[in-house]
Amino acid sequence: MVKRFVDREEVLSRFKDNPIITLHDIPFRCNTVFNGAVIKKGDEYFHLLRVEAQQGYSVFALARSKDGLHFTVEDKPVMTPVRSGPFAKYETRGIEDPRITTIDGVYYVMYTAYSKYGTRIALAETDDFHQYKRIALVSEPGNKDGILFPEKINGEYVRLDRPIGKEVGSMWVSYSKNLVDWGKSELLMTPRPGMWDSFRIGASIPPIKTEYGWFEIYHGVKMTVAGPIYRIGTVLLDLEQPHKVVARCNKPVLSPQEDYERIGDVGNVVFACGAVVEDTGEIKVYYGAADTCICVATANFDNLVKATLNRDRGNS
Amino acid sequence: MPQKKQPDIIHRWKDNPIITIPDLPFPASDICNAGAVKFRGIYLLLITIENLSGQKSLYIAKSKDGLCFEVDKKPFMEPSEDEPYNKYEKISVMDARITPFEGAYFVTYVAESSYGHRIGLARTDDFKSITRIGLISAVDTKGGTLFSEKINNRYARLERPWSGERIWISYSDDLVYWGGSKVLISPRPGHWDADRVGDAAPPVRLKDGRWLVIYYGIKDTSSGPLFRIGALFLDPDDPAKVIARTDVPILSPREDYERIGDIPNLIFSCGALLEQDKFLLYYGAAKSCICLGTTTIDKIEKECAGSKWGF
Repeated sequence: MVKRFVDREEVLSRFKDNPIITLHDIPFRCNTVFNGAVIKKGDEYFHLLRVEAQQGYSVFALARSKDGLHFTVEDKPVMTPVRSGPFAKYETRGIEDPRITTIDGVYYVMYTAYSKYGTRIALAETDDFHQYKRIALVSEPGNKDGILFPEKINGEYVRLDRPIGKEVGSMWVSYSKNLVDWGKSELLMTPRPGMWDSFRIGASIPPIKTEYGWFEIYHGVKMTVAGPIYRIGTVLLDLEQPHKVVARCNKPVLSPQEDYERIGDVGNVVFACGAVVEDTGEIKVYYGAADTCICVATANFDNLVKATLNRDRGNS
Repeated sequence: MPQKKQPDIIHRWKDNPIITIPDLPFPASDICNAGAVKFRGIYLLLITIENLSGQKSLYIAKSKDGLCFEVDKKPFMEPSEDEPYNKYEKISVMDARITPFEGAYFVTYVAESSYGHRIGLARTDDFKSITRIGLISAVDTKGGTLFSEKINNRYARLERPWSGERIWISYSDDLVYWGGSKVLISPRPGHWDADRVGDAAPPVRLKDGRWLVIYYGIKDTSSGPLFRIGALFLDPDDPAKVIARTDVPILSPREDYERIGDIPNLIFSCGALLEQDKFLLYYGAAKSCICLGTTTIDKIEKECAGSKWGF
């Protein structure tokens, strides 16, 4: 028997029963389920899933759980591309990659609206995870991975986003007074040539406030002859000026290694969209694997933050 | 002898080009294009000039008759050394468009750095000094033309984001935070503007209230892009609505000075002026000179009236 290689240096530990949600857990016919955002409300976990319909475009479904590991998916999608009104034109090819941020008790969902005009960042709000009120399309085309910070900074709403400049996808920070009109965009960080995140990077989860700065999980992509490899990394951002990096990991905290991460519609992808920090100090990171299923990995949150501060040494 | 039928409704000034590289009071690699305005009775161009090492800056050229221009020795606007601009203007400030607005002049320009292109906005009252207002787009957005009036109480601009190479319209309350972006026009497969379109000169408000927009259309050929110029009419009350679009270009590269240069077959306008019914289009040709073309609104109108295609 071939012994499976296990990277003991990874800070995140996979849940033993991964994947936690697959196509077979979805009560309606679909192609795949991946990239879900998770919020813990009281003692219940709400998981907004990106489900790719067999037609090829994505919708959002809702799954619920009491332990954050075993989810039950509801019978029908909760949010689908609108077919009339100002959003319709920009969602014809689907809605993708939701991220949920709570600000002052309101749940905001930033997602990617996809149409022949390109990908744009869109914003909606909800209070029950069933009814979603669209607020605005908040970017020009060619932008995605928009994620709101959980509080205003210096009186302004702040988001991470990922426009493409000169064919390179970098992470930027933009500011707004009303969540609708955005500006003052600043470059946050770029891909690093020669490293695991050399091709493209983008924000993954809503930033988490720590004493060392805003903790952010991002995805880094390396391009190979056989296509991209998506890995998960971490970074700390300045609390007051979140477009400034405090510390950035040198090594990924999770890379595709298991079969469910390597094999699927888009192989070699681990892509986080949500995380929950438990009272116990554990962080659960929810990630889509191979664009085909949803998994969870955990770590001690303090260790994950410190590993980021210590860059390469801390990861061992 | 019957007069030869002209293929383009824009009439080229007989002494084109009006500004060439040897006319400059300093050495330069390229002359790209020019924003245009009538300022205190003087024709003023804001020209993008590339220096020998490859960075672009903006220079003022002035003229009493709109034909014979004198170019300043020093740039009017160079890549900034101050935060937050320096990071995003490291390579160039270029493609200036001038919009007169309530007594002041707004200059939209393209900031270029290794991170990509962004639209910058600045303001001048006297064309002696200029104050930057902000970098107002995400990266890889070019174009950037400000409407000369508010639309439903909001500032409005056109722009050309990289994704899709279309023209979009966006709005703002304060010129800093922008939103409400909508697509205005797309390339038309099979047409002269099949592959890319972008806003060229700032929208011109016509007597009847409509907005006239001069845009560029690109057809990619096996030997590179072919840049041509077309026109759009926008709704007086809601400029996000296109009323008419030219089926054919109003100007195409034909003359040697448009066909030969660092970028051949390139004509690109950043400035147009309307004087009574006379329409003046200042345009850069082959990245090597500035030219003048004239026509009338009537002629552009007739060209649009024949348009059979959708927008």
